[in-house]
Amino acid sequence: MSDRKPMPMCERVGPVIRERSSASPASTTSRSMTPMRAGPRRSPLPLQLDQVQHWFAESITNRAPIDQAVLAAPILNDLGDLERVVVGGPQLGALERMAIYHHGYRARLVECLADDFPALRAALGEEAFERLVHLYADRHPSRSPSLNFFGRHMAAFLLDSGAALAGDRRFLSDLARLEWTLVELLHAEASPTLSLEHLATLPAERWAHARFASSPTARVLRFAYPVNACYQRWRDRGELAPPAPEIGATLVYRHELLVWRLDLTPAMTNLLEALFAGEPLSAALEHLAAGISNTDELAEAERTVMIWFREWVQGGVFARIDLPAE
Amino acid sequence: MTNRFGLPDLGIGLGLRTKHYAHVLEERPEVGWFEIISENYMQTSGRPLWWLDRIAEAYPIVMHGVSLSIGSTDPLDREYLRELKVLRDRIGARWVSDHLCWTGVAGRNTHDLLPLPYTTETLRHVVRRVREVQDFLGAPIALENPSSYVEFAGSTLPEWEFLSTVAREAGCGILLDVNNVYVSAFNHGFDPDEYLRGIAYDHVVQFHVAGHTHNGTHIIDTHSSPVIDPVWRLLGEAHRHAKASILLEWDADIPPFDVAWHEAKKAKAWIDRGAA
Repeated sequence: MSDRKPMPMCERVGPVIRERSSASPASTTSRSMTPMRAGPRRSPLPLQLDQVQHWFAESITNRAPIDQAVLAAPILNDLGDLERVVVGGPQLGALERMAIYHHGYRARLVECLADDFPALRAALGEEAFERLVHLYADRHPSRSPSLNFFGRHMAAFLLDSGAALAGDRRFLSDLARLEWTLVELLHAEASPTLSLEHLATLPAERWAHARFASSPTARVLRFAYPVNACYQRWRDRGELAPPAPEIGATLVYRHELLVWRLDLTPAMTNLLEALFAGEPLSAALEHLAAGISNTDELAEAERTVMIWFREWVQGGVFARIDLPAE
Repeated sequence: MTNRFGLPDLGIGLGLRTKHYAHVLEERPEVGWFEIISENYMQTSGRPLWWLDRIAEAYPIVMHGVSLSIGSTDPLDREYLRELKVLRDRIGARWVSDHLCWTGVAGRNTHDLLPLPYTTETLRHVVRRVREVQDFLGAPIALENPSSYVEFAGSTLPEWEFLSTVAREAGCGILLDVNNVYVSAFNHGFDPDEYLRGIAYDHVVQFHVAGHTHNGTHIIDTHSSPVIDPVWRLLGEAHRHAKASILLEWDADIPPFDVAWHEAKKAKAWIDRGAA
């Protein structure tokens, strides 16, 4: 990581949170089927509403092809029973009708996570991304009324799922963690933040004991790969080549409506993490030097620490200063 | 006929979409009202609410949900209802609507509007839950007829009769989506005009129109294109019976604001024609 002052990179447009709507995905079935022609109408199976719903939900969320999925719940003896639950028509058989919902379930989730993880999707390619989301949806089905946070387990899932992935698992997970943080911060509550004016009122003798509470719209992320630079290159040029490993950290924060990404030097990372953990400034400053063997770098850090503070405060990274009672 | 709940006719409105936020706040177009997808502004404290608060200061807002799951056999989600109420009160939404459907069971949300078997058992179940929701919210809700791709062999009532009976027995409103009537009529082979003749119009508080995707053997309700004339005709016909607010939904391949608004305003000519 460079020692020069990092330049913040801003989400000028920001990841657009796609509207989750009542519309259905445009495509229909994932494979062609010969319509099942309705034979002589047989009597409906005598099912209670909850039996119908458990069967229907299992049929459309089961990853098996639809002709197997509808048999997954113990309701139908065989496919011949399907029309005793769901009515087919002359143009479209009962199985094809079920396939619309079966396909729609996964297509909707793929669409949702493609909005939340556009760079991850670019890194994996469309087909691999789709396969990944299918596995993810099986492990972490949505249990929430909203899809706003459906993708929250993705970074961890990439590390531990065992899903076959083309590419370094750690890099993909780091990239997903960065993208997910952008989503999270867009939804985070913007509370009042510490101002430079307030900071100026802090008496010099009390600085050492001051605790700088982090804003809910700020995060420090440590990475094994330089994913922030990688992400920016993808945004600027559409290129997403996996980089070589390089340990680093990025401060991600929302200021008003914009989300900013700022690569941090090791000294900045140590200091900010200690402050975010609630340590008083004097103790946090002791972490500044941790892991920094280069004396020039350390001297530079000590010289510029007040400049960082000023920028962090201006960016709304701190919610407030907490002081012990006098 | 005006609706029995005294809910106002807000004129012609548009579904609020993120790509139109800046245009709406900067240009203040003369839109009668906006409809939001409720869940897009729930479980969030950030940017979506920032925009919504400002737009709600300038326009009437109606909340349209996709996760009430009124027909599910799972218990009603009290936390969801609480959040819905908080959002409604925060933005002064004129009313709250959702769909005559279920979205999941056993705690899993499929995020799809799944069809119900139209039986007396389902009717009793839905009526009871609508009453519960209305008691909680302290106001009538409106239920929308969904578009569907399957019908159940065990159904004993046509959808229009089921919907109107739920509305009468539970005392709720109807959000009549004439595009969904058209889509389901094609998919299931019924007459859309027979559907319209069976609606309890004194319960209709709102209409939806939208575009769809015709796949030859079936139609998918994609909200991705302009409204076709046969759907506009259904709006004109239904509006003769209920002078209710009209809203255009456009959710995929969303065009610039002016294009969507121009499309929505076509409703005026069709309801005038229906009234003539």
